[in-house]
Amino acid sequence: MINQTKNILDITGRVLNIQRYCSHDGPGIRTNVFIKGCSLRCKWCGNPESIRLKPEVSYDPKKCDGKKCSICLKAPFPEGGFYFVDGDDTKVKVNWQLAAGTTEEMVALCPTGALEMFGKTMTVGEVMDEVEKDASIYRSTGGGLSMSGGEVMLQPDFAAALLQEAHNRGINTAIETACNAPWASLEKVLPHVDTMLHDIKLMNSERHKKWTGVGNERILANFKKAYETFPNIDFIARTPLIPGVNCDDEHVLGVLEFIKPHKNVIDYELLPYHRFGLGKYESLGVVYELDDYKTPSDEVVKRFQAMIDEAFGRNRK
Amino acid sequence: MIKSLGHAGTHRRVAINVGSGFVPGTNAVVMGAAIAGGKLGWEMIGIRNGFEGLLFPERFSGGGIINLSPELIENLDPSTGGILGQAPKVDPFNAPSVNGGKKDLSDQILKRIKEEDIDALISIVSGQGLGILQKLHLKGLHTVCIPRSIENDIAATAVSFGFNSSLSVTIEMLNKAYQAARSAGKIAVVEVPGEHAGWIALQAGIAVRADAVLMPEIPCDLKNLAKRLKDKISARRPYGLVVVAEGAKLVDYQVKKDAKSSPESIPAGQVAGTVASRLQKLITAETYPLVIGAWARGGNPTATDHQLGMAYGAGSVQVLKAGQNGVMVSFMPPDIRFVPLKDAVDKVRTVPSESEFMRIAQSLGIYLGNRL
Amino acid sequence: MSKDTGRKRVAIMVGAGYIPGINAVVAGAALAAGKLGWELVGILDGFEGVLHPEKYPNGGLIDINPQVLNMDPNTGSVLGQSARIDPFNFRTINKDEMVEEVDMSDELLNKLKAEKIDAVISIVGGKGLTILYQLHRKGLNAVCVPRSIENEIASTSVSFGFNTALTFTIDMLDRARLAAKATHKIAVVEVQGEEAGWIALQAGIAVAADAVLIPEIPVDLKNVAAHLKDKMSVKKPWGLVVVAQGAKIINQPKNEEPVSSLKASLSPLATSDANSEFVIHSSGQAAQAVATGLQLRIAEETFPMVIGPWVRGGAPSAVDRQLGVAYGAGAIQALEAGKNGVMVSFVPPDIKFVPLAEAINKVRTIPAESMFFQVADSLGIYVGK
Repeated sequence: MINQTKNILDITGRVLNIQRYCSHDGPGIRTNVFIKGCSLRCKWCGNPESIRLKPEVSYDPKKCDGKKCSICLKAPFPEGGFYFVDGDDTKVKVNWQLAAGTTEEMVALCPTGALEMFGKTMTVGEVMDEVEKDASIYRSTGGGLSMSGGEVMLQPDFAAALLQEAHNRGINTAIETACNAPWASLEKVLPHVDTMLHDIKLMNSERHKKWTGVGNERILANFKKAYETFPNIDFIARTPLIPGVNCDDEHVLGVLEFIKPHKNVIDYELLPYHRFGLGKYESLGVVYELDDYKTPSDEVVKRFQAMIDEAFGRNRK
Repeated sequence: MIKSLGHAGTHRRVAINVGSGFVPGTNAVVMGAAIAGGKLGWEMIGIRNGFEGLLFPERFSGGGIINLSPELIENLDPSTGGILGQAPKVDPFNAPSVNGGKKDLSDQILKRIKEEDIDALISIVSGQGLGILQKLHLKGLHTVCIPRSIENDIAATAVSFGFNSSLSVTIEMLNKAYQAARSAGKIAVVEVPGEHAGWIALQAGIAVRADAVLMPEIPCDLKNLAKRLKDKISARRPYGLVVVAEGAKLVDYQVKKDAKSSPESIPAGQVAGTVASRLQKLITAETYPLVIGAWARGGNPTATDHQLGMAYGAGSVQVLKAGQNGVMVSFMPPDIRFVPLKDAVDKVRTVPSESEFMRIAQSLGIYLGNRL
Repeated sequence: MSKDTGRKRVAIMVGAGYIPGINAVVAGAALAAGKLGWELVGILDGFEGVLHPEKYPNGGLIDINPQVLNMDPNTGSVLGQSARIDPFNFRTINKDEMVEEVDMSDELLNKLKAEKIDAVISIVGGKGLTILYQLHRKGLNAVCVPRSIENEIASTSVSFGFNTALTFTIDMLDRARLAAKATHKIAVVEVQGEEAGWIALQAGIAVAADAVLIPEIPVDLKNVAAHLKDKMSVKKPWGLVVVAQGAKIINQPKNEEPVSSLKASLSPLATSDANSEFVIHSSGQAAQAVATGLQLRIAEETFPMVIGPWVRGGAPSAVDRQLGVAYGAGAIQALEAGKNGVMVSFVPPDIKFVPLAEAINKVRTIPAESMFFQVADSLGIYVGK
């Protein structure tokens, strides 16, 4: 339960981005609050900036003024974090190892905005002020507040507070999660959730560990317990379809088997993988591990969709 | 030149040409034939780019025909290919014509051959080429063919030239792939030449002690392959090598061919990609596909292929001298023989199931796709 | 600094990935250490052998002794290879079964002390070099042996690993050239070189390529196409273009699609360009981009080939075996001379020691006045100048 001695509006969290007019994050048109920090390390992750909890610096060479400016080469910036090379290339280069100590205050000193921080500390109040701007849209479309990331369950106090406050203001709530967290965290957050979109990435635990860093026993146990403990939440299962990893009949059928007994799992969505995260890997200095896999073909996705529609007793065109 | 008295086996002017597809060491064959023919007093000439040199001589500076004189031959480097170029990948009986339809150029070819006073044609061709030459022979062309095949899949000859070089390169590349797999801790799935037969895949696979070899002769069920790999791959040995022939077949799965991205328009890469992707979903280890294809086709001939090439070239002249026509020169160690073209055409020499190589592979623990 | 010849226990380890010749470095260090009566131990798999010795049946440290000198240089590295190269951001699964990166540098240093290791020789480049520098700042007695396939580590003229990669690349380019020649097409071959074009340029010269694209000089493909058209003719109906992995192409037409809403919902900071504003350096992309770009501007067929994956396997060349041994011995010399926090540097004909602080953040790109450019020019190889 929320610690009542602290004003709910003052509880803080590490926020990556607040995105308005989202249509794929739950019912209606929603505002999605992305928080930073994840408890898995999926090799195909399209949001590398969301993986680590701590704030990280990002760099856009196009905006850099180059050798005319040298602000980031001097204190207070971390020593050796930013440097020039000899020759024609005038842009600043980043030594990601050494630049890791860069903070919001330092980044504010960059005159062109070439340096930015991923991950701002915000209070529930500040976030809700943003979210409330679209209150009339939520009313007319059935939309509301969504939270995703990163992993929502990694900041359970902040998430619970934010979602609760949304309810206080008459706004419905949705979260997107992979549930790799202790049940205690879910227990805090789920009482304030109306819709839960949850990722089922692989049904085989050994392979799950290979591709995401941990086995899936606890994750699946969490899902099951959530389905059973919260009959009034609309659960929507999801799979990011990665060719060569999980893009096959066995996986889709396996998930359908898993969710079948639970009537509050109202749908299963497929997310065909796209490589659009790649650009951000470069700016963060992270090495992208999944290089050679292409987007799943349309026919394959259609076929899976038909299997899902059949399982849910739907007749889509 | 001495005019022919019409004796069987005496020729005045003999032409040599090369079919489509590149095989290292073709020059050695041309040399062998030119030298042997020259010694008999025959005039040896080469036609550029298959039949193009005859049909469209204006496309070639210096004309479409080369005089294979002793001086020229002396200065030829047997290790480079291509003094005679190679034919385009077009069937002269069904050539696309400018206005969209198909044209039969065969009569024109035969006419030009007569015009150029060519008595006989030695043609260095692959499986498909044999069929074309056979048809031309039936229309009156006096010809002897020399089989060239990287994959060694031409029936009626034990060893095509080009095979040894290609096998050599493939083994070298597979060694590298295996080491790269080792350092990456993954399973390399490497595609090697072999659209119709698994000779290269099998022999190279044995040489490098691959974990598995997939060939056209034995359709493979990837589930069984996955099981075998699980036994072999462990924490102590977290890497592996699977060799896949270009034409390998998978049980209950059609490999889609995508005909681009390689110099020969052979669908390179599809099989490796498919096997790697599907295999990866059945095991924990990561796979990564590699394709040897283009690299194997651009190499220097081995010493064996030099000698074999020269022997084939000289052998073709002997066969012509013996009065033969419409035959393919065949090497059945230690003899050079000849086989009627009609018996050589459309016969693919696949690896027989009782082949010694299959036995060796199995005793080395290399999975071939048949039994578990 | 005074010489320090008391008996020492030195550890040797590698950074990420395998490159041919590591065993030669180990052998060199072992020989030199043996002569001084020092003990040399190898840490398996980067830092894993020290941080997680329980994973290894015989512990995470191995004795490097005369046996090692009979090692087959073809069988990979006796030191294994590391997956987690960064002790400051060490990926672990915490007690709540959640994955996170933890700073284990203090623990690493303590464990090294507990093992009575006086100094560490680290065979690293790039990020590994910075990490070693960071550990040194925290008190580790460290010497770096620079390894780099690309030869872009500044402060040393020749890293080991470069010669092997160069030889191999030339070999492969010869094959590519034959393939292009035989089929009358233009081979576009991608070679190593994310930050510097040494491999691309030197190999390109060796095989007399038609054009060489390197990171130092961004090129406009229309100029490359024009040059190729000039060089190709009836007598030479084929071409060879060598592209470094990090080559930069300017004036590429971009397709500006608006960001789809699904994409935006999954990735808040997504941009419309699949490659974003940043240059992507992943294997195969450069060759593909150049082959496609040239194809649009030239009649002959282009086909891309990639050398990248093949370079990681193979035996070191004779030069690299000698260089490796010299570097290994040089590292021990550095320690004997009391040097700490240095990189062994080969500036022919001497071996020198450069402070780590001066070795990091420097990329050795091909200088504009390099004689290689002059040679390329006189051979008619287009490089973009």
